[in-house]
Amino acid sequence: MTEHAKLVGSGAAEVVVARKVSHAFDTATAPIQVLFDVDFALRQGEFVILTGPSGAGKTTLMTLIGALRSLQAGSLIVLGKELSGLSGEGQREIRRKVGFIFQDHNLFEALTAFQTLALAMELSGDKISSGEARARSAKLLSSLGMEGHLDRKPRQQSTGQKQRIAIARALINNPPIILADEPTAALDKETAGLVIDLIRRRVDSNKTSVVMVTHDSRVFPAADRIVNMVDGRIAGVR
Amino acid sequence: MRTRLGLGARLLLHNKVRLAVASASVAVGVIIIFVELGFLLGILDAQSLIATLAKGDLLVMNIARVDLHRWDNLYPVRLDQVAAQPGVARVTPVFEDHVGLEDKSDKRVRRIILYAFPPDDVPLDIGDPEQISRRLKVSHGFLYDRLSRPIFGSFKPGDEVKIDKFPLLVGGYVRMGADIVNDGNIVISEGDWLNRFPDAKPIMGVVHLKPGADLETVRRDILLHVPEDVVVLTPWETKMREYESTLRVAPVGILFLVGMLAGLVIGTINCYQVLYNEISDRLPQFATLKAMGFSNAYLRRVILEQSFVLSLSGFAVGLTLSYLADYYIASQTVLPVGLGAATALFVGCLTVAMCAIAGLIAIRRVAIADPAELY
Repeated sequence: MTEHAKLVGSGAAEVVVARKVSHAFDTATAPIQVLFDVDFALRQGEFVILTGPSGAGKTTLMTLIGALRSLQAGSLIVLGKELSGLSGEGQREIRRKVGFIFQDHNLFEALTAFQTLALAMELSGDKISSGEARARSAKLLSSLGMEGHLDRKPRQQSTGQKQRIAIARALINNPPIILADEPTAALDKETAGLVIDLIRRRVDSNKTSVVMVTHDSRVFPAADRIVNMVDGRIAGVR
Repeated sequence: MRTRLGLGARLLLHNKVRLAVASASVAVGVIIIFVELGFLLGILDAQSLIATLAKGDLLVMNIARVDLHRWDNLYPVRLDQVAAQPGVARVTPVFEDHVGLEDKSDKRVRRIILYAFPPDDVPLDIGDPEQISRRLKVSHGFLYDRLSRPIFGSFKPGDEVKIDKFPLLVGGYVRMGADIVNDGNIVISEGDWLNRFPDAKPIMGVVHLKPGADLETVRRDILLHVPEDVVVLTPWETKMREYESTLRVAPVGILFLVGMLAGLVIGTINCYQVLYNEISDRLPQFATLKAMGFSNAYLRRVILEQSFVLSLSGFAVGLTLSYLADYYIASQTVLPVGLGAATALFVGCLTVAMCAIAGLIAIRRVAIADPAELY
């Protein structure tokens, strides 16, 4: 496999293709360049881990892929759509097809687990009944080891359980892409294993593509590729 | 799939203590508006009381009497001239003057308004006409207005009270009310009044039309055939004219309008602060919604829904407290301060508008929620 082929992956259809993506942040003194001509690709049904030291540009690359930031330079095609110059509505369209898992769960205290998932399901555009929505939510929570938690609010859940509800929120609409930032950081070994298994199953059975930023070595064996970033560049691929 | 209750409402209703505090802060503005409006309407109603109480189709007054607190009388013959017009069934004279009423307990004489009219044709809605008629026919008797301010002392039927040094018997009670200047009223019969002041002139004539008579035609006939020193208005027109006159002559309109605006501003600021804190405390959650693909329009709806819930809860609290405040004020001032359904509806709409403005300002806060900051 050539060096470029390693960087961009090969074989299956590419759901993310980044070419010469650069990005800088304005500061009070001068712009700080965080990404330098990054080439990256993610295939359908591929699980990629982004790793590297703090400030390497991993998060910035993820936010660009998720259309959470506007692209400044280069080309980034996500699910067949060029993100360069994309309108606000276009960005929202991409976001709706991406499952985001953040380090913090960011759950509304007022909503039960089911209401949280139901809110996410509103975005799917599917016309499903409340009964179907409950069944789907219960099944997903069960696969995350949370049977019987459907009607509990965040204050009735542990930190790990809240994180799993946030993961369920990202997965409930079966997004073709999942972008996860340290999803196992708040979880014990057993629960982390459950979450990784679930994500891996999604990759294998649903052909979901995953980009995960993590330093948790427990996750590494589940990944197809591990991309190491240093100083805004891709330094290596395993 | 949509949940029955919107996200905005759920977020507010989740924490009951917080909602109670938020509602109370919005209610502050509502209470100020209610009290100011209640005062204004109370004063306007009090000033135009006699027009409200008049039981007739038209009122005839001296044209110089541009407000109901002027003492320009009518020539008695004018009432006969009005009564002679086709379409007029009868005209009831109403006399008005101020007299001195002596309080037995401290012998102090206090000014009180006296009304006189024929006992057989009670022209004012001040109690049971038959009872009033019967009691007014008792010679040297008078009826005391129960809604007078308590400064006059207490009277019971049969008591002898000196009015302008003449002893009169308390024959019973009527219900009228005080205004800003006048503390109370008494009523005597036209006969008794003319007996004491044979040259007394009526202040007003209450015109009753014949069945089927057209009001505008009768009014036109009166104005055409009666000398030009009279004005002919319906009781409602008289009341509205008094409203307008009070607002023009006295600074109460501006005074209470400024008070209402202050309530509106205070309510808006309080509501904005509540919404601002609501958004600030949940900024990461709102940013998460944006990351998930929810539009700014959706978030705006959430905030406006919150502002609507706040307006309802704030209005409910404000209405309850204002009702109690108005009850107390009315009992202390004897002014007809109170909450009518129309007033409540008006203030309710104002509260919704007030909170909507606060919501629209607060929306800017949610717009800055940056989903990229979540990673």
